Amino acid sequence: MQAGAAHLPHLFQPGRFGRYEIKNRIKYGACCVSNYNTRDGFITEREIARMKVIARTGCGIITNQGAYPDPLGEGKAYFRQVAIFDDKFLPQFERIAQDIKSQGAMAIQQILHAGRYGGIDIGYCIQPSDVPQTLPHFRPPKVMTTAEIRDCIRQHADAARRAIRAGFDGTEVTSFMGYLLANFNSRFTNQRTDEYGGSIENRGRFMRELIDGIKQATPEHPLVVRLNGAELMDRWGGNTEDECFELMRQAVEVGVDMISVTVGWQEAPESSIGRDIPPGYWNYLSERAKKMFPDTLITFGNRLPDPRMADDCVRDGLFDYWEVCRPLLADPELIHKAAEGRLDEVRRCIGSLNCLSRLFRDLPYTCTMNPALGHEVEPEYQVTPAAVKKKVMVIGAGPAGMECAITAARRGHDVTVFDKAPRIGGNLHAYAMNDLARPDDLLSVIRHYEVVARKLGITVRLNTEVHAKFMRSVLHEYDVCVVAAGAATDRSRMAHVEGAERMIDALDVAHGRTQVGARVVVVGGGKVGLTLAESLRKRDKATVTVIEADKRIAGDVKPSFKWRHASWVEELGIPCLTSTTLLKVSEAGVTVRNAKGVESFVEADSVVLAAGAAPAHALFHEFEWMVDELHGVGDALIPRGLEQAIQDGFRLGVRL
Amino acid sequence: MPAAWRAAARRHEELFAALDPGARIALVARSAPTQALLWQMGEQGVEAEAVTVEGHAATRASIVLAADDEALAQVCAAVDGALFEVLRAGIRSGRIVCYMLQRRCVLEERGFDELLDALGFAFMGACR
Repeated sequence: MQAGAAHLPHLFQPGRFGRYEIKNRIKYGACCVSNYNTRDGFITEREIARMKVIARTGCGIITNQGAYPDPLGEGKAYFRQVAIFDDKFLPQFERIAQDIKSQGAMAIQQILHAGRYGGIDIGYCIQPSDVPQTLPHFRPPKVMTTAEIRDCIRQHADAARRAIRAGFDGTEVTSFMGYLLANFNSRFTNQRTDEYGGSIENRGRFMRELIDGIKQATPEHPLVVRLNGAELMDRWGGNTEDECFELMRQAVEVGVDMISVTVGWQEAPESSIGRDIPPGYWNYLSERAKKMFPDTLITFGNRLPDPRMADDCVRDGLFDYWEVCRPLLADPELIHKAAEGRLDEVRRCIGSLNCLSRLFRDLPYTCTMNPALGHEVEPEYQVTPAAVKKKVMVIGAGPAGMECAITAARRGHDVTVFDKAPRIGGNLHAYAMNDLARPDDLLSVIRHYEVVARKLGITVRLNTEVHAKFMRSVLHEYDVCVVAAGAATDRSRMAHVEGAERMIDALDVAHGRTQVGARVVVVGGGKVGLTLAESLRKRDKATVTVIEADKRIAGDVKPSFKWRHASWVEELGIPCLTSTTLLKVSEAGVTVRNAKGVESFVEADSVVLAAGAAPAHALFHEFEWMVDELHGVGDALIPRGLEQAIQDGFRLGVRL
Repeated sequence: MPAAWRAAARRHEELFAALDPGARIALVARSAPTQALLWQMGEQGVEAEAVTVEGHAATRASIVLAADDEALAQVCAAVDGALFEVLRAGIRSGRIVCYMLQRRCVLEERGFDELLDALGFAFMGACR
């Protein structure tokens, strides 16, 4: 047993699933589709390359992403989702199944019929009843006839048979997150009056027949069903948790082999997997399932990113298999690092939901923390030994600089990082300290860089500002200079405002270098301004007003997190004056003008400027003739966000 | 009742100003969804009328607000006052279900941006 495996003995103990021996208690969950495939459902080389990485994660069970089972595409939810309604798709499935099994894992193929979220290419979706969706992403509903229900069950059974023929050991059907199976189970979306609707027994009939159909089609192969422990739709008339567990009971009674307990629908009006939900929050659902169904395997992993917590859960009988997906997208080496006692090197999933945000824009998913995700097929994204070993200086120890530094060091370069601050992390540290969601997730990014930089032997020189004079002092010592000095608040944008010099820099406040008074106006309703405003209101009890020139706040916030800021400012009572221009800053407050041209005065002891960022372009001009190679990354080029900083740093690091 | 709704819409003209002619928003009781109150963008501004319909799609509305009885009473009581605050609170609390009968790109093209914002659309992003 490896060093870490001894510390996580329950997670790394072997298990059984049907007639299959499983090497550990970890199941890779098909948490969302990749959107890497062709528009007509064929698996691409990009997908195959990604699955090669997944196959090598060390999981005992690996679930391949959900394929839609019907030729019309009524079940197709995502732009480039894979299909399994015909044998023509099998060759690529065979390659994936074979590769998973070659790594000693059990291979499961998920069948995903999206129900009310489906029909993406055909202008309608199918549902048990005519219940429109509550988000404007989806297609209008068409009610399924009884004959169509039976046809749909047959298509699922055919898809399962096909998956087994492709070499998969078992199959999985999913109701998560509000797909067809959930639509039949739900009181909210199933308002039928025939044998498939009404009572919970009737609503569960589709599921029972579906399970039975697949079991009959593939009797020798286990079947997993993903079912909500909580839909979070009960406010709108969806199932209560008790009803969810009653539906699980029905699934158990018809012989399902494993239940994957999940949380939430896409439409659910509250968080289930985002950064604002603490890890372990939903564990009670799997505990309840395991207690109710001790003889059925339970797998679970919603918002449970830490292997140590998962080990405790297996030990305590909360579930049999840890179902993990996003943490493995963030760090495909997670299981190996856990087994080898290197958990401090793990890149944690920070729950930014960049993956899902992109899916809802019909884009391939990517990961904030793992810049290689989705590029596995491209040699340009591989970390390979450098042909020429170089001495590299990186100016700035924020995410872009550190990502570039560790990538370059992994390739064999001799790297030194300089930062004028006393710690690494750049502005991410200040952002994390003001974050109301989960500061520890963001701080974990910094800790990761600290640990890995130390292990790779990267020299980090803090409290060291790099300027032209400094560069002259190290002339010809370095082959490469990477400017990753980030961006500063752009005061020039407010130069026309009377009294602009009275404004305090948002970064100074965020870093704790400047204190504010009891009444604060924050100028700028983007992520920096909002985060600071929320923090000042909640932690310092300040009275805060946000002024935003645009029509809406949170313009630069990820789609999956905009609602969070909108919700916080409302809960905290922070007035946001949108379409409002700053005219004057005085000792007593600010004068502003709204879209109708009406001027007003907002009292304030402190006015914080959080609008606009100026990249560190000057350094490029200063250093141009001082070093062989001069590059830039992250906010020093174009101020954006954490994801872009990490992507930039990595892309440069693999090329130096 | 329609007159009060017409007046409410006109008081919030900025939310409706960009709507395409013919664009509709419906309010129904969840307990009696065949009775709908419609806001419709006409040539003279927003009109309101009470109609009988069979199903949400029959309203030909882009958005259907389906309120439970208590929320409906609150909304009706607020028609001369803070109507959108009450609608927004109802949607957030789950007492009003906001059905979207058209896709976001269509809604944006039809000028629903401001209205969606007033209804607290930022609270409704998928997959959280």
